[in-house]
Amino acid sequence: MSLEKMLATYEFEQWLYLEAKLLDDIDFDGWFSLLHPDISYSMPVRVNKEGIERPDYSLDMFAFYDDIELLKIRVDRLKTDYAWAEIPPSRTRRSVNNVRLLEYAPNEKAVVNSYLTIYRSRSTDIHHDLISGERQDEFTFVDGEWKLSKRVFIVDQTTLNTRNLAIFV
Amino acid sequence: MMKTNINLEEMSQQDAIEYLKESVQPEMGAIPASLLGDPKIYDIEHKKVFLKTWLFIGHESEIPNKNDFITRDLAGYSVIISRGSDGEIRGLYNMCTHRGMKLCRADAGNKSSFTCPYHGFNFKNNGDCIGVPLQKDIYGGDFDKSGLGLHKIRIDSYKGLLFGTWNDQAEPLEDFLGEFKWYLDILAGRAEMEVVGPPQRFVIHSNWKIGADNFVGDSYHTMVTHGSIVKLGMVPSATYSKKGYQIHTTNGHGLNLGTPNPDFAFPEELKEEYKSNLTEEQYDVLCNLKNMIGNIFPNLSFLISHTKVKGQLISNTSVRLWRPISVDKMEVITWLLVEKNASSDWKRRSRESFILTFSPSGIFEQDDTEVFTDITAAASGTMPLVKQLTFNYTMGLHRKPVEDFIGPGVVYDDKFTEANQRNFYRYWLDLMTS
Repeated sequence: MSLEKMLATYEFEQWLYLEAKLLDDIDFDGWFSLLHPDISYSMPVRVNKEGIERPDYSLDMFAFYDDIELLKIRVDRLKTDYAWAEIPPSRTRRSVNNVRLLEYAPNEKAVVNSYLTIYRSRSTDIHHDLISGERQDEFTFVDGEWKLSKRVFIVDQTTLNTRNLAIFV
Repeated sequence: MMKTNINLEEMSQQDAIEYLKESVQPEMGAIPASLLGDPKIYDIEHKKVFLKTWLFIGHESEIPNKNDFITRDLAGYSVIISRGSDGEIRGLYNMCTHRGMKLCRADAGNKSSFTCPYHGFNFKNNGDCIGVPLQKDIYGGDFDKSGLGLHKIRIDSYKGLLFGTWNDQAEPLEDFLGEFKWYLDILAGRAEMEVVGPPQRFVIHSNWKIGADNFVGDSYHTMVTHGSIVKLGMVPSATYSKKGYQIHTTNGHGLNLGTPNPDFAFPEELKEEYKSNLTEEQYDVLCNLKNMIGNIFPNLSFLISHTKVKGQLISNTSVRLWRPISVDKMEVITWLLVEKNASSDWKRRSRESFILTFSPSGIFEQDDTEVFTDITAAASGTMPLVKQLTFNYTMGLHRKPVEDFIGPGVVYDDKFTEANQRNFYRYWLDLMTS
């Protein structure tokens, strides 16, 4: 690996760690500012297929299929007094690992894959939810900063073991 | 006199049923909290409700081609719903008749036969046993495979909605749905409808009846639970959900019809198709419809929702199953339906609005699930039974149904009543005590 790619990998690891921290800290405005205006943010439905037939996720149905406008609606909603699903907010802990830089054009574009595990604790419930999967991210360089321009989250469960996705993946 | 020291777990099933007869009083608007949390009641429910009635298993458009199949749950048992090479749809118990192994582990696919992973018995998708490895050698020449066919399940469909039942004595599906079919025509038969993609699945720590109750008659909660939607300007006002009709028919079915709507909620270019599939009266309802929320007994809820997304009005039509896993847990399975002949742009926007509002990430959906979970926790265990905690379902008891509505059933002229829940629990009680 070249030194340039090592540094870039480090840079995107730090980007993803910061993103995790902002979401875990319920700083939705801070998180929103990391997004590119042309973002495509999706989470396809995972399915059980016969044998090793791939892809084993749907190309037609999604748990998220958002652009910047829809993400803005979600963020705005979470800030109203009626967003019961997150009142009080879940305690989440996002662990990002296995970060791999797949494509890299300095100051232009990057493709980064990573694994994500979200621990979610709500209220006094001693049971927690775990949401795990792979993120396939694309970044675009704008005004000296990397913005998230595409995310596909491939969740590991076909039946989600969490009461809702009032949180971001 | 009702006993004050109740422990259903120590009772015989018959005594528990007697207790239900005394304590569940739908017509008085009294529903014990323990119905949502008692394991004994849940066990009786499985036998008396889920093994007796028709249950939703999917939509015909999920298996459009010969040899397409889906696997589904029918009252806790995996079944294969397969379209044979003759085009006929069959339901088969997903169990090898030789030693009981699950035959098929995929959600969906296309296969003309299924091979058991245990000993290799092979079954055609009409259920016939067509292959036994080393048959002549180990079973002898006279071995008869004809008795080894897969167990067939009674299935039937209405307007593309597929139902199955384990009960060979159950009344025909059309009779079970009865007058409710008039409204299902609008939901699922107004045009050629198709399911988009696979269903979405997620688990909620909730008793299944809370979901059915919420959809069958609870328009009242939308003002508060879904208050954030009003704040976002996606629906006009907090009392938006009151206007319209609440309607129920026999067998516990019920719906809430939101009317009027100044806008046509469906693709304009399909008006001729709607007219050809609906009666004049049904088409009139469709033209005025702003939403439709209901439940086919016991656990298939449905929804037509018309909201403003990105400044543009759009509707989405979905059905959802509240599949019981245990007394305090259910799997929610949701399907999006669209008009097959709608434009690709309309289909795209309808899916977008569905994902935004009623998928697991849906901004309507997620607030409901929070409520369902907390109600279940509060109703669980022995205390609600010992203390005889009872929920009040008397809303609208003083009101008389209207006589001049153009559709069938018992109709109230706004949606804020609990007549539908009382009707749901009446049929539930009839089955439980039968």
